Amino acid sequence: MLTTDQKDALQEIANIGMGQAGEVIAKVLNEFVTLSIPRILILQPNLIAPALQRMVNSELVSAVRQAFHSSFRGEALVLFGLQRCADLADLMGYEDDIDHATEMEILLDISNILVGACLGGIAKQVGVDIGFSAPSLLADRVPIKEMMKVNDASWQHALLVEVNFQLEQRSFACHLVILMSEHELKKFAGELDRFLESL
Amino acid sequence: MALSVLVVDDSPMARKMLIKALPANWDANITQAGNGIEAMAAYRAGEFDLMFLDLTMPEMDGYQTLEAVRSEGLNCIVIVVSADIQPLAQERVLKLGAAAFIKKPVDMQKLEPILHQFGLLD
Amino acid sequence: MQAEDLPHLLDFVVERLEVGVFVVNSEMRIVFWNRFMAIHSGQHSEALLGRNLFEAFPELPRKWLEKKINNVFVLKNYAFTSWEQRPYLFRFHHNRPITGGVDTMQQNCTFLPIKNTQDEVEYVCVTLFDVTDTALLQLQLNSAIATLQVEKAEQQQLMLQLADAQSHLMQSEKLASIGQLAAGVAHEINNPIGYVYSNLSTLEKYVQDTFGMLAQYEQAEAAIADDAVRAQLKATREKLDIDFLKEDLRALMEESKEGITRVKKIVQNLKDFSHVDATDEWHFADLHLGLDSTLNIVSNEIKYKAEVIKEYGDLPEVECLSSQLNQVFMNLLVNASHAIEERGTITIRSGQRDNEVWVEITDTGKGIPAENLKKIFDPFFTTKPVGSGTGLGLSLSYGIIEKHHGRIEVQSVVGSGTTFRICLPNKQPIELQK
Repeated sequence: MLTTDQKDALQEIANIGMGQAGEVIAKVLNEFVTLSIPRILILQPNLIAPALQRMVNSELVSAVRQAFHSSFRGEALVLFGLQRCADLADLMGYEDDIDHATEMEILLDISNILVGACLGGIAKQVGVDIGFSAPSLLADRVPIKEMMKVNDASWQHALLVEVNFQLEQRSFACHLVILMSEHELKKFAGELDRFLESL
Repeated sequence: MALSVLVVDDSPMARKMLIKALPANWDANITQAGNGIEAMAAYRAGEFDLMFLDLTMPEMDGYQTLEAVRSEGLNCIVIVVSADIQPLAQERVLKLGAAAFIKKPVDMQKLEPILHQFGLLD
Repeated sequence: MQAEDLPHLLDFVVERLEVGVFVVNSEMRIVFWNRFMAIHSGQHSEALLGRNLFEAFPELPRKWLEKKINNVFVLKNYAFTSWEQRPYLFRFHHNRPITGGVDTMQQNCTFLPIKNTQDEVEYVCVTLFDVTDTALLQLQLNSAIATLQVEKAEQQQLMLQLADAQSHLMQSEKLASIGQLAAGVAHEINNPIGYVYSNLSTLEKYVQDTFGMLAQYEQAEAAIADDAVRAQLKATREKLDIDFLKEDLRALMEESKEGITRVKKIVQNLKDFSHVDATDEWHFADLHLGLDSTLNIVSNEIKYKAEVIKEYGDLPEVECLSSQLNQVFMNLLVNASHAIEERGTITIRSGQRDNEVWVEITDTGKGIPAENLKKIFDPFFTTKPVGSGTGLGLSLSYGIIEKHHGRIEVQSVVGSGTTFRICLPNKQPIELQK
């Protein structure tokens, strides 16, 4: 689906996107973020949920989804394990003890910041404009396999780019996943080719 | 005499991008390594004047490599080239003995003054 | 349209859009405020321009909103709020003053960075969408879905109960027919057992008489003159070993009597238990008799698991439906033996206090966890594998004891055993006796 060169380029571009997202979230939360090497997989629909499960070390997850549209389209997911984000509330400007809706709002905000910075960084490197839908709550403490019901998927393969963020001083971690169908992946691969030619 | 330069990054693409950003008629012999272990092996095989070092790498990452360079007392200028651009990351590598920190993607305009500063470019 | 008309047209569109639009600079001063915002906030653009957003609207959640807008300036990225988590930014009246349902306009907001030519964010534009209608529908939908889910769960519960009830029905029908069969057999056996028993008594007497007669003959033997006849008698006596025969005959009679007594007792127990001939009427009965006959019925089930220790106290006869109480005793005894995993003891104690009698059945079994203790008298509650227990035994027992105006109590320690205690009044309240 991707040539070695394309995959290598994507790996590096994703790495830079992740770095920018990491910097942004570090700035917002005033915390050091530990980054890991992005993982790139091309998967059939039924393997998406197990792949996500392996990434998130938690039975139940909360997840935010956000669509992106550029010369290629796809969805970004940000997955959160079951850590409470109460201690982030203060950093995000909340004054009182937080209720459930506020907790969800914090997840939406953090997701929006990560997705915007990471995909924004990727789009900027390959030289395309990108826009985002409003983030929406995909799952609130549900098992991953229930969240990712892709039985009736109209695609056979999807690109999965996985980026992990872990706050060094707090027990907070989240995982950003970029998903693109094979059809959109072809368009994205075209952008990668143009980028490679420009080198 | 030509400078000997070691470029350390797990991504061949990243190494290619960095090498392309180097000054066009710079007199340098360039060697590449895919992680810290390879870098230290390459150094022992033949010393280098300058090392461009990525931070997030498998096997042995940039921080560990910096520590190894320092503990073995290598006489080599290390410039960290990283996608992790948090100010604290920059602070940490400078404390570990890196000479400079450059953000990825590498900007040629910003690289040249740094090379000048360390007398690596005429 | 002329090109120069375009800015004017855009102004008009933004001004009249049915969407709230306002713009602030990095000092949070308002630089644009459209008509939608003016109408709903009651504050007009002219009065607001240049003013700090939070001074003009002190009711806004300042710390949070300032951070949110600042992030857009710093991160150069969109931000959003959604009504589901944050119902509104500004407390505006909604567009349903009559049909109602919510108290404030529900809003989705977008925070849009407006950059200058140096790629820095100079302003943040906030758009505010009235999503009250969608929100109301969504809330209705959510509550409908929640109701459906509750109903679905209830239905599943009912289906389970139905399946349980069916298996219980089959079980109780089976029990009933076994009971009838047993009663029939008991009745049929009772007659022959009766005459065999009375015949045995007669037989014993006849044997005694015959032996008496024989003894007299033996004494008279010496008086027989004919030597040949005497020798023949002696030879026959020695051949038959009459002394042993006499001994053995007595033992055989004894054993047969004992055997037939046991058969009689078993038949009586069966009859007592299945109460073929007991009328379902209140009468005074000895609970120890009921306990003993029940123990005999279930002894096969118990004897490999537990030793039964009886510590009966002094009990008066109690006004009861004895056959129903026997059901309760059987239930508790069988449960007690099931609770014992390897081997243990079942202790039956009884006693009286004031105008009450009590019976306790204690096992040394595995005990009942606290979370199950309060459910054990519920119909259909069972910890036995599906199909092997009906989950009705204890709830039926509870019903029977209640009918007797008594109490059934349970104490259990996991790992060391369980005690059921039944307390019954000696006499039922007056109205029952009519």
